[in-house]
Amino acid sequence: MTDAEKIDKAKALLGARLIESANPAPHRVFLTVAPGDLRASIEALKTGLDQWYLSTISGVDKGDVYEILYHFGDTAGSITVRTAIPKAEPHLPSICIVIPGAILYERELQDMFGIVVDDIPDPRNLLMPDGWPENNFPLRKDWKFERPKEIIPGGKA
Amino acid sequence: MKFQIPIGPQHPALKEPISLRMTVEGEVIKDADLRLGYNHRGMEKLAEEKTWIQNIYLTERICGICSHSHATCFVQGAEKLLEIEPPKRGLYLRYLVSELERVHSHLLWLGVAGHEAGFDSFFMYTWRDREVVMDLLEMISGNRVHYAINTLGGVRRDLDEIQKAKILEGLKILKERSEYYLKIGAGEPTFVGRLAGVGMLSKQQVMDLCAVGPVARASGVARDVRKDDPHAFYNDVEFDVATADSCDVLGRAVVRIKELFESYKIAEFVVRNLPDGPIAVKSPRRAKPGEVVSRYEAPRGENIHYIKSNGTDKPERLKVRAPTLANYPATVEMLRHGFIADIPLIFAAIDPCICCAERTAELVDARTGEERIVRFSDLRRLAASRAAHSDKRNGPWPL
Repeated sequence: MTDAEKIDKAKALLGARLIESANPAPHRVFLTVAPGDLRASIEALKTGLDQWYLSTISGVDKGDVYEILYHFGDTAGSITVRTAIPKAEPHLPSICIVIPGAILYERELQDMFGIVVDDIPDPRNLLMPDGWPENNFPLRKDWKFERPKEIIPGGKA
Repeated sequence: MKFQIPIGPQHPALKEPISLRMTVEGEVIKDADLRLGYNHRGMEKLAEEKTWIQNIYLTERICGICSHSHATCFVQGAEKLLEIEPPKRGLYLRYLVSELERVHSHLLWLGVAGHEAGFDSFFMYTWRDREVVMDLLEMISGNRVHYAINTLGGVRRDLDEIQKAKILEGLKILKERSEYYLKIGAGEPTFVGRLAGVGMLSKQQVMDLCAVGPVARASGVARDVRKDDPHAFYNDVEFDVATADSCDVLGRAVVRIKELFESYKIAEFVVRNLPDGPIAVKSPRRAKPGEVVSRYEAPRGENIHYIKSNGTDKPERLKVRAPTLANYPATVEMLRHGFIADIPLIFAAIDPCICCAERTAELVDARTGEERIVRFSDLRRLAASRAAHSDKRNGPWPL
């Protein structure tokens, strides 16, 4: 399937939900949808395109919004579904019902950006340790690392 | 009664520290849970503070087995953002190292699989022959592990005629040996008996859980970035995607052995058809604002980097997804309803190789089924009190 055919098919599958489509490089298709339409859009694309799987979810801190990119792979390149959520209210619907393999990436988003993924089947920390202080989200641009004071168990006070 | 058995997070044999917690009933695993993050080094954050060229060396250090695959995936993307095109000779040399790396990684895995199945002579054979390809890689790049052959716009080292002859010679030996491995891997009754039917993962589960690499291909899903989304180089060469339909560890072994032959074929093609010309072009320091999705077929499966540039000499965002992470949800499914004795085999079959169930951070009281987490300091205290009692004969047993 060529990129143009893919965009046409995505337009047919998504209808009015598709805000923008782009094809910046060969085998790379970018589709933009609203966060509210995300789950329905991905479900529609999944049924319409064959050999479709989720590669990963990337988050980008763009100042006042978080841009979330769902990278999918198929037999002819990759499709990226893009959405943006406001930083003030970072809520994102979970897509685990449609694609169960998304769970690790959604947990990673919660850890790294402090995005709340609604209806996530397993909200525990993925990468951050259990004792990680609250409201510390390393991949936010305004987050700076401060090395905590080292306490050696059983060491000198 | 259900018990929980923790495996990991740290063990000298593990490539990646990971904590697995198995809920078992008798010998059967009822549920498995993963806990990651023991080896989290904050590289994505760090990459935002490094220049494009420094990031090659950073991404190369993500993994110690497939170091070249992360560096290549990053360089592929960065070159698009910097708007440079590496010369053909440079590309050929870059993917020659890729294929040789795949050979060394698969030979390493075969050895591990043999070891986990209790077939240690197989392990010794494969690891002996792996030295052939390690020597070739050292000859090409100067290093055994971090080859550091990539640079923005090409590669850093060229090949001469003597080296080419040596590579062909090495490939001939490897090919001969691999035929023997295929005979063992697919035909030796005890080995096949141990691997067949272990760690089943159906085709539908592969699709749902987004597994990649040999795990997906062993379940009949011909998912290979080299074919699906080829970088310029892979359009030039002819190779097949190795698949199997058995959906078990045996299939994963067979897929990897078959892939060895494809890699030999590609490497031989590169050496015989190496174009003339320069090996690299000069790269600018700054990239224009833009974004790129770079994909690469690492030995363990699809490797994907999302790179965003903002017009400076540093990336705005680098997102890395290594293939092992993609295979974790599938691993949990594979472990379910298997036996405790199969844990090392199943886990090794996705190639992160968690093999030993000996070191625990949790003690389960077998009589009451009560669990308690024991801190290292407590263990040390117990050990100290044990030592204090030991010089008195017939002292009380502290546990």
